[in-house]
Amino acid sequence: MSFDVVLRSIFSAAFLASVLRISTPLILPALGGLITDLSGAINIALEGIMLVSAFTGVIVSAYSGSVGLGVIAGVISGILISYVLGWFHLHMKTDIILAGIAINILATGGTIFLLFVLTGDKGNSQSLASGTVPNIHLPFIQDIPFIGRVISGQHVFVWIAFLLTWLVAVYLYRTPWGSHLRAVGENPDAAETMGINVNRTRMIALLISGFLASFGGLTMSMAYLSFFQREMTAGRGFIALAAVYLGGRKPWGTLAAAILFGFADALSHQLGSLRVPSQLVQTIPYVVTILALVIYNLREQAIKRDRQRKFYEQQQAEMGSGGGL
Amino acid sequence: MIRKLYMKPFVREFLRILLAITISLGLGFIITLLVSDDPVGAYQAFLTGPLTRINRTGEWIKETITLTLLGLSVALVFKANLFSLGQEGQMLLGALVSGSISLFVPLPAILRIPLALIAAMVVGYLFGALPGYLKAHLNANEIVSTLMLNAIALRLYDYFLIFHIKPEGAGYNASDFFPKEGILPTFIPNVPFLAEAYELFSRRANITIMLYIAIAVVILTWYVMYRTPYGYELRMLGANSKFASYGGINTKKTIVLAFAVSGIVSGLAGAHLGMGIHEKLIANITIGIAFEGIVVALLARNNPIAVPFAALAYGYLRAGADIMERTSDVSREMVLVIQAIIILLVTAERVLPIIQQRVNAARANNNLSMNSEKPALEEGG
Repeated sequence: MSFDVVLRSIFSAAFLASVLRISTPLILPALGGLITDLSGAINIALEGIMLVSAFTGVIVSAYSGSVGLGVIAGVISGILISYVLGWFHLHMKTDIILAGIAINILATGGTIFLLFVLTGDKGNSQSLASGTVPNIHLPFIQDIPFIGRVISGQHVFVWIAFLLTWLVAVYLYRTPWGSHLRAVGENPDAAETMGINVNRTRMIALLISGFLASFGGLTMSMAYLSFFQREMTAGRGFIALAAVYLGGRKPWGTLAAAILFGFADALSHQLGSLRVPSQLVQTIPYVVTILALVIYNLREQAIKRDRQRKFYEQQQAEMGSGGGL
Repeated sequence: MIRKLYMKPFVREFLRILLAITISLGLGFIITLLVSDDPVGAYQAFLTGPLTRINRTGEWIKETITLTLLGLSVALVFKANLFSLGQEGQMLLGALVSGSISLFVPLPAILRIPLALIAAMVVGYLFGALPGYLKAHLNANEIVSTLMLNAIALRLYDYFLIFHIKPEGAGYNASDFFPKEGILPTFIPNVPFLAEAYELFSRRANITIMLYIAIAVVILTWYVMYRTPYGYELRMLGANSKFASYGGINTKKTIVLAFAVSGIVSGLAGAHLGMGIHEKLIANITIGIAFEGIVVALLARNNPIAVPFAALAYGYLRAGADIMERTSDVSREMVLVIQAIIILLVTAERVLPIIQQRVNAARANNNLSMNSEKPALEEGG
């Protein structure tokens, strides 16, 4: 395959549709990571929360025969797991990183263990008849030549991801709870003094984060694939954390970063046919994230220095005018 | 007397960890009861398995060596109150570099093996220094940066393995077996009066000279941490970073070094995976062991001397789980559940204090009721 064929396939509707599909299980946990990050805690457990929800969704939908019940159970399980994380972190004073690692291990081991108990198979749940969420065909838009093929016919979680991004943006920047959450993240002591309950705010942030990440997990097992597979999240929870930083800790930035990761993933599959090693292409988003982290912090430092200089100049000016009097 | 003993932090820590392990093993047994047809047999296999055959004991010791190195690597960073999740990446690159030298550098074993080990340590040092530098000079979050570097290392490892190292046309993603000059020798020297033991171990349980290297690294880490100025700075930084920097410690340099030195040890652990355990490079060589160093360091409370003991205990559980899976109907993932509970219980700062509070409260209540009873008695009398 020559280069222009690859280029053409990258700008094809099918490719862009696949980018959206691959990005969705990154966008949703990334939003969860964003909320906890802004509240001043790093949620390492996104990976584990996704796994548990993916598993619960499949199992409940298989045994109840209802996709809706599966989704609800998956979301509840995700929230419960983040409650456990929050309880250990906030009440038992466990370090959140270590608690998060423990949750991830628990999720990896627990899901495989239960999968084996329920199906006798440690690899996947294909022997169970679990459901998938419906695809949404948009009546008029699907007839538009290019765009129709990109956005119509996507599964419902793609839409939920965009909807939730908007809701998270509104929550964080347009509601008092959102500003409380950010205040707690910026300076917990000051927030405490202002009468904000720091622990409760952080717990709520963790629960919302579990809610969002659980949709990511459900996307994996009930839309992207139609069954549960051991360790199927394959590091997506960590990529989601990276997307938060790459996105400048803003909701729409996080969404864009997650889509960029999805794009790189989809691209590496395409380039595989060009004999460009896909492994090397896949490193690009991580390198970019580290660079973004560096640039973000350099900018923060510059802003800080700038503030200090201004403060100093102001003081000098005041002292000068004071001396004049 | 017992109370005095209990007051000692070391004893208290030890009791706390013992309590955590006991509780989680108990929970593990309850889980086994629920899922197994022969729970006692399964649990027996789990708890006694590693001692039943010499090759199983060998597996346990080999696992312990890796865990000891990883635990030391994590402890070196944790001691400075920093976090690093980068051991996986450092191990992968250590395994890659040492494995390539074992495979392709035509030197006799006496030169090839040291060269491979040193190369693994150098790569670990450099790959460890990177997140340290980003943290110290640019204040970049070390958790995110080490996770990203892991992801990068994993892909680099796969790339070199698939495109350069694996034999032409092979249908699997693994290298050839290392030549004899590239494999670590058995820990018992091949001398006449030990011939029998040498034969036994090299055939049945191939524990390598990495055993001695690991012990040396334990002692060296202890020495560096407690007997050198660098170790003092490291511990100072961990105890109180502001105080350390006011006290004239170059905190930036210390942070970079903390990560880099930790990387050396992880790189060595990676070399052990290739040259000591698998004897070839395979895909996903670090799977299942990437974050285990953290558990070991936690159990050892970042004390280098305690690390090998924690690794022995923890390696025992892991080896036992493998045997349980092979000999019963319980899958080895149960040990992951046990492991998670151990982490939560050991790190929950308030587990023991809460019990302590209850005991104190109960005692105070007793005293109170005894005191209040006295006057009542007197009145009655």
